[in-house]
Amino acid sequence: MPRILDPQDKYYIDNPGRVKAIQAQMHKRGIDVYLGSRIRTMSFVMDTFCPWRSYIVIPPEGQPTYFTFVVDALRVGDETWIDGDHVRAYGPMGGMDQVSAITDFIKDELGIKKGRIGYEDGISAYTAEGNLSHWEYTHFKDALPGFEWVNSHDIIDALSLIKDKGTIERFRTASLIVDEGHKAARAALESGGYRGMTETVIAGIAALAMRKAGSVSEWNFAGLNEISSGFRTGLGACTPPTTKEIQAGEPLMLDFHAMFKLALGDHSHNYLIGPATKRQRWHADNFVAIIQKVIDNYHAGTTPGTLAAMMMDFAESRGCGDFIQPACEHGIGLFGDEWRIGAIVNPDLPYWTDQDHVYSENEMVVCAMQYAAPEENIGFRYENDIVITKDGCEVLSKYPLGIEEIS
Amino acid sequence: MSDLKEYLGPLWRDEALRRLQSELTPEKMNKVTTSMSNIYKNCPGGVELFLFIACEDGKVTRVETGTGEPPQAEFRIIGNYETFARISRAELGAQKALMTGKLKLKGNLAKALKLAAVSDRLNKVLAQIPTQY
Repeated sequence: MPRILDPQDKYYIDNPGRVKAIQAQMHKRGIDVYLGSRIRTMSFVMDTFCPWRSYIVIPPEGQPTYFTFVVDALRVGDETWIDGDHVRAYGPMGGMDQVSAITDFIKDELGIKKGRIGYEDGISAYTAEGNLSHWEYTHFKDALPGFEWVNSHDIIDALSLIKDKGTIERFRTASLIVDEGHKAARAALESGGYRGMTETVIAGIAALAMRKAGSVSEWNFAGLNEISSGFRTGLGACTPPTTKEIQAGEPLMLDFHAMFKLALGDHSHNYLIGPATKRQRWHADNFVAIIQKVIDNYHAGTTPGTLAAMMMDFAESRGCGDFIQPACEHGIGLFGDEWRIGAIVNPDLPYWTDQDHVYSENEMVVCAMQYAAPEENIGFRYENDIVITKDGCEVLSKYPLGIEEIS
Repeated sequence: MSDLKEYLGPLWRDEALRRLQSELTPEKMNKVTTSMSNIYKNCPGGVELFLFIACEDGKVTRVETGTGEPPQAEFRIIGNYETFARISRAELGAQKALMTGKLKLKGNLAKALKLAAVSDRLNKVLAQIPTQY
């Protein structure tokens, strides 16, 4: 992605301002240097796609210095906002392994020989979180003997919670790109087009449409575009597409992902491939009503716990409480930030969504709901990026909510 | 009487500068401006030596050798005397020495890789100096 340096650009992010905010927090906590390793930290600070194991060293003032695998350093240097001398590489050479290159840099170039070093540790259900591994931690620690190590990921987590204007604009565009995928999929499925079509093929049709519209990646670690049909719709949340053919009389779930300037479009839409039974229609109507109910209740000041309880009560009132999973969202930010909501680590259940987190204006979540009746070979999923507003929320995918019967 | 020059001695240093300036044009050196210090550990006699080379716009401007702290350079390459000697005798490639950890590089690797070919050209010229190790 080309760097955006013009503050008038609608996708502009004040990256130098972000670094200054991190440095202010470091100062407050007495942290002399910050060693970031998570993908979300790279996206938040570098504002470019950093897929290889990377590290960012943030000094008390001035530009951060980024280290990545040597094969990708020039590309990152070409795209990020920071200058070329602050984009470094590590590689399989004496003195240039990750630990040597970074610790030498801290000691010799930054001139910081001892003090407090912030690093990123924790646990996640998200495969690609990027916390410092035990091996990394012990070897970095051995190479920096004068430092006290302080787990400080919550600095980035807190600063990245409320989305700025440029970030929200990027998400708006990413979501509209996902809608192009859904339009293409819908067109391919209708009028019997689904016959002989596999889940993998419909995933590819959507991917092509989204790429044409400007997506650079289907970004998701759980199967890129996740597709399930028939009994597979009832199996749960992670559904990489298979070569199963889409069949008449089955439900179909299409969960498409597009990435635009590190913003993650994510929208799931469901169909019933006709002819649908009354029971299937009942399940579908329940799910649509639940989605609408949850969306109608988002607003600044509410909490994940409140929304989940309201959703479960509503489902129970419709007689479908057994089929709805008891949560309705997950966190979202720039690439690599796709898991828990809030920045607080709850000691009773660390690194999971804080159910008492109070939403603020311009926070974003993926409104995410799962309905599953595996015994009946049916299930649905809804996901949509939303921006929390003062009195409600802005739903970013504009693809109409509903579960249509198509044949 | 041999006309071999003592490795890293004053005569070798002067010959290195002369050859680098005459044999490497700025075009061959990609018109780079950079500098590097090779730090020689475990030298005969137990001392630590250095070889410092600076280029400006592709012209080799300085070659210095000596003991103790070398001049500030963009890159530092650290290794045993014998490793550097083997590279100079063309018995070991500099890249292989780096990739096997026999040499340690300090500096910006992304930039160093752009200079790998230039560094090879320098080494090839230095390898031609009749040298007493």
